[in-house]
Amino acid sequence: MYQYDDYDQALVDQRARQFKGQVERRMSGEITELEFKPLRLQNGLYMQLHAYMLRIAIPYGLLSAKQMRMQAHIARKYDRGYGHFTTRQNIQFNWPKLEDVPSILEDLASVQMQAIQTSGNCIRNTTSDPFAGVAKDELEDPRPYCELIRQWSTLHPEFAYLPRKFKIAVTGTPGEDRAAVRFHDIGVRIIENAQGERGFEILAGGGLGRTPVIAKVVREFLPYEHLLSYLECILRVYNRYGRRDNKYKARIKILVNETGIEKFREQVEEEWALIKDSALKLTREELERVARYFVPPPYEKLPSSESVLAAAALSPNRDYSRWVTNNVRGHKQPGYSIVILSLKHPKIPPGDVSDTQMDAVADLSERFGFGRIVVTHTQDLVLPDVKSSDLPHLFAELQKLDMATPNFERVTDIICCPGLDYCALANARSIPIAAQISERFEAIDYLDDIGEVSVKISGCINACGHHHIGNIGILGIDKSGEEAYQLLLGGDPGNSASIGTILGPAMDGEKVVDAVEAVLRRYLSVRESPEERFIDAYRRLGAAPFKEAVYANH
Amino acid sequence: MGKPRGTHYVVTASFTKTGAPIYFTPEGTWTSDLQKAALIETVAERDAQVLLASAHEAVACDVYTFMVSRENGVIDPLSAREEIRAKGPTIEMRRPDTGFSSKGV
Repeated sequence: MYQYDDYDQALVDQRARQFKGQVERRMSGEITELEFKPLRLQNGLYMQLHAYMLRIAIPYGLLSAKQMRMQAHIARKYDRGYGHFTTRQNIQFNWPKLEDVPSILEDLASVQMQAIQTSGNCIRNTTSDPFAGVAKDELEDPRPYCELIRQWSTLHPEFAYLPRKFKIAVTGTPGEDRAAVRFHDIGVRIIENAQGERGFEILAGGGLGRTPVIAKVVREFLPYEHLLSYLECILRVYNRYGRRDNKYKARIKILVNETGIEKFREQVEEEWALIKDSALKLTREELERVARYFVPPPYEKLPSSESVLAAAALSPNRDYSRWVTNNVRGHKQPGYSIVILSLKHPKIPPGDVSDTQMDAVADLSERFGFGRIVVTHTQDLVLPDVKSSDLPHLFAELQKLDMATPNFERVTDIICCPGLDYCALANARSIPIAAQISERFEAIDYLDDIGEVSVKISGCINACGHHHIGNIGILGIDKSGEEAYQLLLGGDPGNSASIGTILGPAMDGEKVVDAVEAVLRRYLSVRESPEERFIDAYRRLGAAPFKEAVYANH
Repeated sequence: MGKPRGTHYVVTASFTKTGAPIYFTPEGTWTSDLQKAALIETVAERDAQVLLASAHEAVACDVYTFMVSRENGVIDPLSAREEIRAKGPTIEMRRPDTGFSSKGV
């Protein structure tokens, strides 16, 4: 993985020292909250309902064992013994005291981490495929490009004050989008053109929030060396023409929509003609320099995983068998597997991990891999390099940690924002709804029968829980001071991207889990075969049968 | 049945050191206990109290007001947001709060 050079290290060290001075001045009353707020936000420090919240960047979700142990240390020493992994592949701490934050930033800097640009109207953490570098179906590892984007966008002087926040995602797997690139301000897809040349499809103007939009293609094929210059031009056009008069219309999706994709493309291309051969043009040497940080680890030569996986399927231990089926994925290296550690447990808010769990995961990443852990945007963790012959041993260890729930991409693998239990922007709680759904569907046989389905919950229209792109989306709203929930069906973050449609009138919180069960029971009764996924059945039948199932008795 | 209409205003802010919710008291100090908050009846009094509270900027930030009802001596926020803010997350915590917000000011 990428290692800081002297320049990187000096930058984060200086930033930690600088923030220490700013906090001291705030605590002494020398500067007001109005003056301090932009300074704290530039360091990822928000004010939430009950306390400050510190958001820490995890570039493209990749953590070393040492970095994970540091998160455990921060949780233990400065917070309340846990952290929360987010849909931006970052981590948040919900209870830091202001006076401790500079020390947290110093501790983070000691393991090459920071919280810069995790808030504010700037370019945020670039996200990617959680299986990057190891996926069997990958065309090219996207992480070197993510790292180049990180370096280009960090403290970029031209883009420190954009009309609104800006999010970029990169995928190296054209056949399956595991990074939701069509719902980002810029989506980058590594592709091959008809001549077999490697490059990118560039999309822009996607997003969720109060106006969900699927990104449009700005350039069908961009040679690799022009990635940064082209992104720079999209940002320039956005920075120049994006609206600043209304924060709800300030994202690039509104600009692309109002301008029209053809005109927007012209503006970008016009700008690009001026700088395409500037210093931003990537040389093969520079790309190779960064790519060297992501060379495959020293894998052993092993026989294929087939026999191990076949044995797992026949194992008398049904829990193990289900776990292998649901939480283990094929690896590009024979004899190895990708393992998803579920952070979804009925008693625990989705994405929350205790300090002891974080320490244990760090240990497991070294014992069963090369000390690497990946955070998924679905709020789970991945151990990317597990020998398939080690799967039974790893499963036993994960069971002890309550991290072996066999529910990846199943109904209880819920994406869920912190909601009104923590968030100052939320209208309704989302964590208790997730808990109710998890408890209801805990019966594993039923879970397996339902197959692949995603449930995503947001506590407000800002959509941090991605409700628009859940096969089943749940949106918390405020009805005269009371919490209420809307159900959406038909969202899909992948290559067949779609935005969910509201099913009917909002309902009280206690009715949500019954409504979700009614939808899934109806799905089981109307699907053509067990192979027809929920989303496929919904697309074939439309909303009517599900609406009838939910609202017939209301 | 919905909640009763609001009868009083309460002035609130966040404690600068921790971000914890705090409430302005009749004595012009701050408390972390909503039940000890000053109950304000009129808009004019509310605005005057906000001005007073804002003078404590170094220790208390983001001053604003919200409506409550009082029944049988219990102060009850009208919104779910303020109710949760006053009582803490409704979900089980990993570790009990031993800090400012549980001890009061």
